[in-house]
Amino acid sequence: MSDAASASVRDLSGATNMIECEGVSKWYGDFQALNSVSATIKEQEVVVVLGPSGSGKSTWIRCINKLEHHQEGRIVVDGVELTNDLRNIEKIRSEVGMVFQQFNLFPHLTVLDNITLAPIWVRKKPRGEAESAARALLDRVGIPEQADKYPGQLSGGQQQRVAIARALAMEPRVMLFDEPTSALDPEMIKEVLDVMKGLARSGMTMIVVTHEMGFAREVADRIIFMEDGMIVEVGTPEHFFTNPTEDRTKLFLSQIL
Amino acid sequence: MTDQQTTDVAEPEEETSNLPPKVPRLPPGEWMKKNLFSSVGNSILTVVFVLVILAITRGLLGFAFSPERRWDATATNMRLLFAGAYPQNQFVRMWVSLGIVVALGGLSTGVWRAGGRMYLTSLLLKGYGVGGAVVLVGILAPFSGSARLSYFLVGGLLIAASFAVQSATDEDTTVGTLAVGLVGVSIAVGSFWVIPYGHHAFIDGAQVVSDGTVAATTKGPLTVMVILAVLTYFLGREIADRVDAGWPRKVLSLSWLASPVVIVFFVLRDPDFDYGHIATTEVPIFLAYAVGGGLLLFALASPRIGEVGRIIAAVTLIAAAATFLTPMLQVIRILALMLAVFALAAPTFSGNRAARLRYVTVWAGVVLGLLWLITAINSPATVESNSSFFTGGLALTLIVASFTMILSFPLGVILALARTSNMPLFRVMSTTYIEFVRGVPFITILIFFSVLFPLFLPENMEVTEIAAVTIGFTLFSAAYMAENVRGGLQSIRRGQYEAAEALGMTTAQKTVFIILPQALRVSIPPLVGQTIGTYKETSLLAIIGLFDLLFVARSLIPNQTSFIGSVREQLLFASVIYWMGAYAMSRASQNLERKLGVGER
Ligand SMILES: Nc1ncnc2c1ncn2[C@@H]1O[C@H](COP(=O)(O)OP(=O)(O)OP(=O)(O)O)[C@@H](O)[C@H]1O
Ligand SMILES: [Mg+2]
Repeated sequence: MSDAASASVRDLSGATNMIECEGVSKWYGDFQALNSVSATIKEQEVVVVLGPSGSGKSTWIRCINKLEHHQEGRIVVDGVELTNDLRNIEKIRSEVGMVFQQFNLFPHLTVLDNITLAPIWVRKKPRGEAESAARALLDRVGIPEQADKYPGQLSGGQQQRVAIARALAMEPRVMLFDEPTSALDPEMIKEVLDVMKGLARSGMTMIVVTHEMGFAREVADRIIFMEDGMIVEVGTPEHFFTNPTEDRTKLFLSQIL
Repeated sequence: MTDQQTTDVAEPEEETSNLPPKVPRLPPGEWMKKNLFSSVGNSILTVVFVLVILAITRGLLGFAFSPERRWDATATNMRLLFAGAYPQNQFVRMWVSLGIVVALGGLSTGVWRAGGRMYLTSLLLKGYGVGGAVVLVGILAPFSGSARLSYFLVGGLLIAASFAVQSATDEDTTVGTLAVGLVGVSIAVGSFWVIPYGHHAFIDGAQVVSDGTVAATTKGPLTVMVILAVLTYFLGREIADRVDAGWPRKVLSLSWLASPVVIVFFVLRDPDFDYGHIATTEVPIFLAYAVGGGLLLFALASPRIGEVGRIIAAVTLIAAAATFLTPMLQVIRILALMLAVFALAAPTFSGNRAARLRYVTVWAGVVLGLLWLITAINSPATVESNSSFFTGGLALTLIVASFTMILSFPLGVILALARTSNMPLFRVMSTTYIEFVRGVPFITILIFFSVLFPLFLPENMEVTEIAAVTIGFTLFSAAYMAENVRGGLQSIRRGQYEAAEALGMTTAQKTVFIILPQALRVSIPPLVGQTIGTYKETSLLAIIGLFDLLFVARSLIPNQTSFIGSVREQLLFASVIYWMGAYAMSRASQNLERKLGVGER
């Protein structure tokens, strides 16, 4: 728990804003999935997003790297506003890493190629450099010996760690995680969470959608609770788990804890 | 899942561990009891079927081996069936063409380390089967006594030999499949030197028949081919051992792609280059494009050029389109269009100095290749024949089929991508095209391209009938290919697109590196089916009077004065040839599927 203490009391007041959302709204047809979401995430901050199913958590973080388009409001990532300008999108995407629930590794490429493909073709890194960086990353996520295997030959936990390495290989400024452990068997969840904790400790800015309350309590600087496309409550883990103000938060916590 | 690895990781040839474990085999008596005579009904069915099959076989054999059959018509016209009216004094060019294919095949087999091992017992089982079949032929066919006896002898020997080998070897002995194939081919070719099949030929329009083995002009080159295959195989293995496997494979793949062009336009047709004209026209065009275009591309491939690069590329495209408004050499226009394509693709291949230089080198290579090809096509041929094309028969069939495959595949992929793209204009155009082509009988398209298409061309452009119908075949086949590829595209999950997008890949990068490799892998079975279809549909060339294999078999040979009425023999022979090609393709695709692990996961 010493990590938790140090993480939770981190002073981020002087840090610059990494992500700013202002009144972001999004509709699927008539259905409003995001309702005027406003939040600011500081550099090096770790934010955990909680909320019941269908509350718009995925939709929101997918808007942040433009996998979904918002219709109203402003999203600014690292000082660049997201517009429909194509080059703008590619620039943002290469600065924002994303990890998916279903891993989404490229099954026809080896682990090493999965990781080096984007650095070589998007970042224009020489192949040798990209490969040594990839091996270092595999070392960091604890599977250096799997470089030449195909994703189908790995366990779920290993696949998700490759996916994290793949996103990190682009040297992103922000990492988004959409329920990274929900598709994993219980015994593999810890190995992925450990990698994420290490990443948080190293100072990466992270937004994590998860149902892992232990992780939220231990690592998060702030917790954002969403429901029906709206941000209902924001606070430190301590505030959130011991003394939530909103009734809906209390209800959610009583169901989940 | 380990199968996936075999695509890239070469495994040592002696490896036997990946053979499926042997299924313990029942003794023949018990096997028959279990599978054929398990009940009264089953027994009756078995007996009935065996009788029916025997009757059919007897009928076929009675037809094939009847003394009335004019198989000498087939034997005499081998050259016509395989190569059409290709000039006799240039015939070595045909063998060189075959040699190119054999050498590429040998090299590829070696470099990819193809071929595995099989259990000797399963080979011996085939030995028993073939031996039994030969004996059966001896029993059923309408032979004279001595011929019958020789069939019994050969079949009996085969069975005896299989038995002898089986009792002398261990149950788990394995043999290399390549070695088995080589022995088979060697026996077949060797028999040409030993067994007196007889020697039939047309010499100066007269049929000449003599006893003895087949002509030296047939068995000689065939023997050379077998030796060439073996030598190139070992050469391929040497190369694979010494060099990193990546680039020999790339070079070989490109050589396969280029081989039909080289064979048709350079080996078989032999262009008569006008070197004076080349020095004054083609060389300057090459230098202008290679150097000027190269400099432009070097600049455009800079990672820092940004917006300006896109504008310059767009201007290049407009300029290329504008060349079609004023009269000028066709090559200049084609190369201008190519340059525009390269300019538009430059950002994808941008990078450090080495990457940019590589891009420019590829461009120079493309210019050289295209100019060479276009000049060759436009030069008069030194090899000419009196038919509408310089060759015919199976050679023509294969030429049209392979050009169609090579051209319609990329076109089909482009159509499929267009049909699934977000841009409504592309989608509508592609859908319209595909639905139109699929709604029209192929014969209509064929006749259109053979008769009407030349009338639609601009005045200074001419195409031969073969080129016109090949275009027709290509456009037709592409529509079907597109639908097959689209099926593959639809099988790719959304997550793959999203993962690629989240990494900042452009649409082109996403398509080339992520989507297409997976989609095409899934589409292999229907694509091969389509390819086999195209190969067989080339027989429709006979309808518009081109001298393809079927036309030679159906119309030419049965009209020769000595062989009137031999049409059935010729059709049977042509069917066997078609079947062998189609079966080979089918087996190749099964191997490919197994290697790529299609249908697993
Ligand atoms: N492509 C879509 N079309 C229509 N509705 C959608 C689409 N994607 C999401 N929605 C709706 O938007 C709402 C928010 O979805 P979202 O996936 O963001 O929820 P979530 O909070 O991530 O839920 P979960 O915890 O189940 O992942 C849901 O009601 C969902 O049905
Ligand atoms: Mg979700």
